[in-house]
Amino acid sequence: MTTVLKRNKWEIWRDVIFALFAREIRVGFNDKFGISWAVVQPVVFIFVLAFIRGRLDSGETHTIPTFIFIAFGMILIQSFLQTLSAGASAIKKNRALFAFRQVQPLSAVIAAGMFEFIVKLFVVMGIALILYFIGMEMKLADPLSIILYFVSLWLFALSVGLLFGLAALYIPEVEKVQTLMTRPMFFISGVFFSLKDFPEEYWYLLNWNPILHAIELARFSAYPSYGLDGVSVSYLLISTLVALFLALVCYQGFWKQAISR
Amino acid sequence: MILLENITKYYHSVLGHQYIFQNLNFEIPGGHNIAILGANGAGKSTLFRLIAGSEYPNKGTIISDLSISWPVALATGIHQQMTGRENTRFIGRINGVADLDAYEKRVKGFAELGQHYDLPVKTYSSGMRPRLAFACSIAIDFDVYLIDEVTSVGDASFRRKAKKALFERSEQANVIMVSHDMKELRQFCDSAIVLSKGNLTFYNDLEEGIKHYQAL
Repeated sequence: MTTVLKRNKWEIWRDVIFALFAREIRVGFNDKFGISWAVVQPVVFIFVLAFIRGRLDSGETHTIPTFIFIAFGMILIQSFLQTLSAGASAIKKNRALFAFRQVQPLSAVIAAGMFEFIVKLFVVMGIALILYFIGMEMKLADPLSIILYFVSLWLFALSVGLLFGLAALYIPEVEKVQTLMTRPMFFISGVFFSLKDFPEEYWYLLNWNPILHAIELARFSAYPSYGLDGVSVSYLLISTLVALFLALVCYQGFWKQAISR
Repeated sequence: MILLENITKYYHSVLGHQYIFQNLNFEIPGGHNIAILGANGAGKSTLFRLIAGSEYPNKGTIISDLSISWPVALATGIHQQMTGRENTRFIGRINGVADLDAYEKRVKGFAELGQHYDLPVKTYSSGMRPRLAFACSIAIDFDVYLIDEVTSVGDASFRRKAKKALFERSEQANVIMVSHDMKELRQFCDSAIVLSKGNLTFYNDLEEGIKHYQAL
């Protein structure tokens, strides 16, 4: 006899997300090259970009060591881009599983987001380890704020990902548009430069972008001497809330019909 | 008993909405092992998926107080890269099985995969996958099992075993089955629902249902 537990709605959600998350980890870590690449690639990028940027300003960028300046930008932008694409592809990837009535597309998106979150934690730990071994000193003046910005950006990415994932079920071309739209984010989010490098009258071209806010805020929280110019916490948090609200509203409205298309 | 109330279901296509059911009211009676008969494209699988809750009607509701399995098809929810055991645990977790280890044992015993149970599903032969899928569902005590051509794939001894397992559970459980193989349907079912042009008709006697279906 196999007894089946009587579960309430929340317990079902919890079990399903856990099962999907365990599955993501199981399948994700199957691909050992892919997982090590997830750690190695940003490190290589950080080294190369820090080297180039270091040529321009002698190892220190607005009072932050250039390596750490770039590392913040790199980790945050990659968290954004990869969480977004993982969230967007989760619905299609797990389509066969919606045959189980307990599995909803949202749980697949959440599980994929959680997996990306864990991978990024590994990346951060890898970079911290490298910093320790090359003997570079690093300041973290306000670590709690940095965690808040990281989580906020993650949630923002997942919400946008959910919107893209839903839209792609109705219009397949959205996937192409998504890559087209996310590609330039790497260049306009302040990974390589700071908002301060630009004259103030052109800031409006860049500071609509919440990712830029998250990156600059994180740098400021680690090194208060960096200064806080042209970005604000409330802008980042409100963007996240708006994106999350919009994503959940669209999800609630469309998911039942979306999975039978 | 499963009650379909005012169900409308359509799919989108370039030619507009393709209606499968329009304002359908129907009661699928309990206590019968039912074969669903219908031509290709009549909506057998759609009906199946609606009952299972894998898809939702565009209008109307489906009411039932029975615990219904997922539509057990050739490899529903089975991941190619995971082993049989891992797949079993995944399905068990989703369905809220209390004791996963006991469930695992039960599935292992039923599927008779031997050591293949601990190998990735992609290494399985085509007959082994449906055996795993079927074992995963029969090892959970549902009131209604929805079975989509799975039993037709296994060899004779597996089919016998499947039949015996369903027969043992027939006091509490029933099957609803889709298959094009009349011999198989005769083995498992006692009554039929014939689907044609968006309408359902229930026949208490399977043979009568088959006769009407073949006359269509």
